[in-house]
Amino acid sequence: MTVTEPSTHDHPDFLQHHWDTPKQQFEAGKLGMWLFLATEVLLFGGLFVLYAVWRGNHPEMFKFGSQFLDTKLGAINTAVLILSSLTMAAAVTMAQRNKRGALMILLSLTLAGALTFLVIKYFEYSHKFHEGYYPGMKFYEPPGSGSLSWDNDPTPMVHGAAAAHATEAPSPLVAANFVMPDAEPTTIAPPVVAPAGVSQEALDALYDDIVAEHHDDHPVHPLQDPNRPDNAHMFFNIYFLMTGLHGIHVSAGVIMLTWLLVGASSIPDRWPQITRFFLLKRSFGADWFTPVDLGGLYWHIVDLIWIFLFPLFYLI
Amino acid sequence: MTTIDTSKPIPDPAGPAEDNYLTHSSGIMSWLGTLDHKRIGVMYLVSILSAFFVAGMFALLIRTELMMPGEDFLTQDQYNIMFTLHGAIMVFLVIIPSVPASLGNFVLPIMLGAKDVAFPRLNLMSYYLWVIGAIFAVSSIFLGGVDTGWTLYVPYSTRTDAAMGGIIPVATAVFILGFSSIFTGLNFIVTIHRLRPPGMTWFKMPLFLWSIYATGILQVMATPVIGITVVLLMIERTFGLGIFDPSLGGDPVLFQHFFWFYSHPAVYIMILPAMGIVSELIAVHSHRHIFGYRFIAFSSVAIAIFSFLVWGHHMFLSAQSPLINVVFSAITFSVAIPSAVKVFNWLATLYKGSISLNTPMLYGLSFIFMFGIGGLTGLHLGTLATDIHLHDTYFVVAHFHYVMMGSALIGMLGGLHHWWPKMTGRMYTEFWGRIACGLIFVGFNVTFFTQFVLGSLGMPRRYQDYTGPGWSETTTALYHKYHFVSTMGSYIMALGFFITAAYLIHSLFRGRKAPANPWGGRSLEWQCSSPPPHDNFSSAPHVGDCYDFSVLEWDEQEQGYHWRTDLKHEPGEA
Amino acid sequence: MIRSGSIFGMPEQASTVAPMVDLVYDVITWISIFFFVGIVGVMVYFMIKYRRRSHVAYTEGPTHNTPLEVTWTIIPLILVIGIFYVGLQGYVHMTTPPENAYEIQVTAQRWFWTFNYPNGASETDVLHVPVGKPVKLIMRSDDVIHSLFIPAFRVKQDVVPGRRTQLWFEATREGDFDLFCTEYCGQQHSQMVGRVMVYDPDEFEVIIEESARWITEVPDEKLHLAGTQFYNQCASCHTLDGSKLIAPSFKETHDLFASGGTRKLADGSTVIVDEAYIRNSIMNPLDDVVDTYRSSMPPGIGTRLGERKVEAMVRFLMRLDETAPDGQLLAITRQELTKASEEPEGE
Repeated sequence: MTVTEPSTHDHPDFLQHHWDTPKQQFEAGKLGMWLFLATEVLLFGGLFVLYAVWRGNHPEMFKFGSQFLDTKLGAINTAVLILSSLTMAAAVTMAQRNKRGALMILLSLTLAGALTFLVIKYFEYSHKFHEGYYPGMKFYEPPGSGSLSWDNDPTPMVHGAAAAHATEAPSPLVAANFVMPDAEPTTIAPPVVAPAGVSQEALDALYDDIVAEHHDDHPVHPLQDPNRPDNAHMFFNIYFLMTGLHGIHVSAGVIMLTWLLVGASSIPDRWPQITRFFLLKRSFGADWFTPVDLGGLYWHIVDLIWIFLFPLFYLI
Repeated sequence: MTTIDTSKPIPDPAGPAEDNYLTHSSGIMSWLGTLDHKRIGVMYLVSILSAFFVAGMFALLIRTELMMPGEDFLTQDQYNIMFTLHGAIMVFLVIIPSVPASLGNFVLPIMLGAKDVAFPRLNLMSYYLWVIGAIFAVSSIFLGGVDTGWTLYVPYSTRTDAAMGGIIPVATAVFILGFSSIFTGLNFIVTIHRLRPPGMTWFKMPLFLWSIYATGILQVMATPVIGITVVLLMIERTFGLGIFDPSLGGDPVLFQHFFWFYSHPAVYIMILPAMGIVSELIAVHSHRHIFGYRFIAFSSVAIAIFSFLVWGHHMFLSAQSPLINVVFSAITFSVAIPSAVKVFNWLATLYKGSISLNTPMLYGLSFIFMFGIGGLTGLHLGTLATDIHLHDTYFVVAHFHYVMMGSALIGMLGGLHHWWPKMTGRMYTEFWGRIACGLIFVGFNVTFFTQFVLGSLGMPRRYQDYTGPGWSETTTALYHKYHFVSTMGSYIMALGFFITAAYLIHSLFRGRKAPANPWGGRSLEWQCSSPPPHDNFSSAPHVGDCYDFSVLEWDEQEQGYHWRTDLKHEPGEA
Repeated sequence: MIRSGSIFGMPEQASTVAPMVDLVYDVITWISIFFFVGIVGVMVYFMIKYRRRSHVAYTEGPTHNTPLEVTWTIIPLILVIGIFYVGLQGYVHMTTPPENAYEIQVTAQRWFWTFNYPNGASETDVLHVPVGKPVKLIMRSDDVIHSLFIPAFRVKQDVVPGRRTQLWFEATREGDFDLFCTEYCGQQHSQMVGRVMVYDPDEFEVIIEESARWITEVPDEKLHLAGTQFYNQCASCHTLDGSKLIAPSFKETHDLFASGGTRKLADGSTVIVDEAYIRNSIMNPLDDVVDTYRSSMPPGIGTRLGERKVEAMVRFLMRLDETAPDGQLLAITRQELTKASEEPEGE
């Protein structure tokens, strides 16, 4: 492009004024999306570090807790997400080849996968809450004993409070300043007391019913199990935090995929004055399909994160 | 883009100076909905300086309260809220965005000869995220207040029977502001990668852009960690999960690791752009090619990388193991070296230069003075034996004010004065500029140098008073002397800032019209008019060595510099 | 103005590590001064020598000099390695307590310190130590992070809830010194100060002997007055004059007790304010949390105080009209409380 002429205006309509060529704009968009994905990795990275630290310090807690997850449902979710990544990648290819019909079908399939994932997750979560597996102190309340009120009063732990750290003596240089927490708390969990108005027998019967309903492998409800590890609720803390954050990202993906579906359809071509408020001045085509490409990158990372979460929680 | 016809002097190839980005369109919506990086930069500047004023007033109140022992006019709770918000607003709303969002936004594309940043809409969204974050932060005052200190340490901040209710709005503010910062960094990285003109290779970029680039990497990589940290904090406080609170099975030190993993790189987000500005100031205002360009460029990236490895030096006393303390201390010392190298390079740039002591240069030289003190006192804090004594005392307060305010903010002010003519088309009164710089310099040093001594003598930080039932009168009298002097310094400094605001605002209405190149700079922003036209350049600017000032000459009539008229062809073709 | 020690503003040296810390501090400071004077000196010199004299747009000068740049990278690197090494030596010494150190248990709470000695003595906000013998503090916190700092000894360590931390020192001078909390812990953080009293070892033994013993020597009829001696452990939350802090004022409790009144609890029930209620509030503070307040009292304080002191506190509250007339704590010393039992009445 020569210099002394004023900038020409045969820019394609999707080309923003500060770019010279569509290719330049597209490459920049890709770089921007990769940088954004890096931030997502770091966002989850903090939680993965939390997982690693806790698992390193309390492997028994994770072994115990993972019994209560439904591996079958987790595996189905994994397969669903991987397939949806496949359909997404295919969608990008269809966009490149200007096959709008196929693009829309593949985007719809990806969206269906995302929604399936969320539905399965809904069943998983509600099942857990029904059985009383909540994050935090509510874990220690007998199931069905109250509403969803969260009591964040830091009542002192009945047992295991000070055992948040290593229980074996560390080497002198490593921990000259760290002396063992005192051993007042017991390590055998006391049985959970029935709430007012419920007899202990009724509570035991409730636990037995829950166990009988299970599709999982454990014979006894954790609140009945005197050998449950200290701080067993922490497993559910990290489980709900990580899968919850992931679920939020899947939900954002649903919105993104819907937006892509609109862009792939003829709606923007027909009503650009409305769709331009949603950054769609025209429909996708072989000359411009950047959002599909970038959205695909986002979707792949959402899938990738789940591929790490699944074995870390369900399998090991 | 290749050469331009240089047979005519070039103040403004873009057309009549009257049509510039300020006059291009009018009305409030043309500003609030603008995609022009220059207007966004100006909006950021006004907002950031307003936040600086608010947090600065808090600081004055704090210093006034501390001037005399005893509770004067602030209750304990009010004082604690005040120092927390002073810190939180200054860190998140002022210093972190100060250079990148305001000056960076304005100057970066023009320095690249581009028409805008890579993602103008994202840029505008970054600004609105800043505004929303600011609203959340300020609302915390009315929603219970926050008194945890800007560091939000647990378990104090997660216990509702301890910290006040304004924690949730402040934590939300930090989360939102984090995204503002991330998107700005992302935008700048892509802009520098993709919108450099032909001929401007990486090593032909002005050093300011290197520093903005390194800062962008930090913003993108480090900020998500504070995002997840405040989310965990809010969840812990609301639901009592037991991530950090030991009485619920958690670990308080874990929070500190999360927090400082971001907050240490954050301080380099604050200082790197200011260092980039100083490189420009020193070179331009002494008409000297920068010395050691490559070392300075590499040192910016080295500082960015190393900054991720030293967060534990904020936690030497937190009950983490001595072994890890030793490791962090060792790596911390290595971070000092690239910064020292920059200072030596700047001094070497002054050598044999033609040094103008105008206001921007005075700020640049002040930076060297104050960064010297701030950086060297970092050695006291990075050394384990002395840090035990000095941690959480006024020594730390003095150290970080020297680097965050005395260096980063001063660098920003220098940049503001340097690019003021470009941004506004007006020259400010040099006389008052120097007076104000002097007052700020003197006031700052009086305020904070005394605090080094105060901290060494043992006065802890975040104390709303230094007298009371348990206090010894000798100690109170001793600390009182230093607090009194420190407060006097703060008033002098405040006067300097007020004078600065006055003459800058005055220049908007009565300032002499600025030429395109008042200082004799060679980077591309000096090749368009002051203020720039809407599209920055309608014909391509010339790209060459941006520190080669030999192509310029002084024009007495317009009181600025322009391309030498005797040059028919481009010297040193890019 | 500046007390002895380093010339650069360190406080007096009162422990075995203080001279070492001050030396490291001085070394770093002198190196810093050297570089700072050098840098600023060169800067000012250039500012004067090369000040602008005309509007020449450009000056010649070196743009790089690799040997010079490498030199001024390597030399500072060597210096900082040296500083690091010097600091490291001192640090290892400061974090390795001697085998025979005298152990004192420390509890940090908002907003006071409790020091418990091996013989059972317990003091609030005053740390008694012998001179010339190593002392190790084993610290715990019942609520939030605190930090114990003794400037004259140059020691400091965060006190983190959920774990124990320690620090050690050996005092080298008799006298009294400041003790601060240096991690923000709430409203009265700056009032969480104490004193370190350093004695000759024999005198030290006498002091803590007396400290362990005194409560047992208070006759029953004066036991309620004994509560005045450790009311400061409750003072940060419970006032004597009816003003509201984060816990019910003792005056309010006393007034209800005296009138046989009841109190509304957080769970909606009401309770009679009698002796049993008062005792239970100390021993099991979470049982009957009063309405509009949150429970912040550290559980276990009853066990730590011990039976006699708890009895003293209960009586202190029941007879608040005598122990804190008009909302002011009765001024009485331990000597008066214990000695009075030996003297016949009406002396």
